[in-house]
Amino acid sequence: MKRKVLCWQVSLAVPTLLLGFSAQAHEPEKHMKEAEKPECAAMKTMDPSKMDRDDPVMQAMMQKCKEEMHQEEAGPEDSHADHSRHHDNGNANSPVEHEE
Amino acid sequence: MPSTKFLSCIKCLAVASGVAVAAGVAFIYSGFYPVGADDRHTALTFWALETLRERSIARASAGIEVPKNLSTPERLLAGGADYNDMCVSCHLKPGKTESDFALGLYPAPPNLTQAAPGHGDPEAQSRHRFWTIKHGIKASGMPAWGAGHDDERIWNMVAFLRRLPDLSPGQYQVLTARGSTDSDHH
Repeated sequence: MKRKVLCWQVSLAVPTLLLGFSAQAHEPEKHMKEAEKPECAAMKTMDPSKMDRDDPVMQAMMQKCKEEMHQEEAGPEDSHADHSRHHDNGNANSPVEHEE
Repeated sequence: MPSTKFLSCIKCLAVASGVAVAAGVAFIYSGFYPVGADDRHTALTFWALETLRERSIARASAGIEVPKNLSTPERLLAGGADYNDMCVSCHLKPGKTESDFALGLYPAPPNLTQAAPGHGDPEAQSRHRFWTIKHGIKASGMPAWGAGHDDERIWNMVAFLRRLPDLSPGQYQVLTARGSTDSDHH
């Protein structure tokens, strides 16, 4: 009788644990480390007159690429300040910042 | 006399039903039914299963309330990243027309980069998609993602699916990338 109960417990516990692990495995934070970065360079080549800034897709893309876009819009005066800020962070030579 | 005839008719029906059930059980145990995914259903079986599925989902999803804010950029970004992790291998992405999963699964998973035919009402389509993502579909390869994902997360995916057919490969990449350009700076 005890063996039967144990058998039932194991058969219930194994799927529950597997389900728990699979749910845990898809926490967004766990994917961040190996996550690919957005390729925002494509946005620089887009014609601003054709951008619909009210379109949620465009807003989402701008949100995702906001730092790069901000550097583009800031112009050369601000870029020095930006660069010095990034020097402080040790990222002044990142390829994204110097991409044309 | 009519009652005797009625009784014999009932007996006849009962015997016929018994024989039909026995024949069905014998067929199941015979192993003759081909279950391979590369063996296509007959047109009648396909129609019956498709109709059963569509009617069942329509009935089950009828009472679901669609959030009013499905079009926000935040939902697109959250739903896009999850779509790319969980769905893209079967349901494809802009610029991709096939995958091993899409080729091998039967019934074939719908290509969600193309606007779905026959779902004119976007609200009904959203309810349908929410229910399908949450509960999955038996014996089709579609899992029930509701087991590990809350409703908000599933609505984010529904929000992303609404815009997926409009996206270019470049837009898709930006919206679905989990990393961010400023992640180096933190």
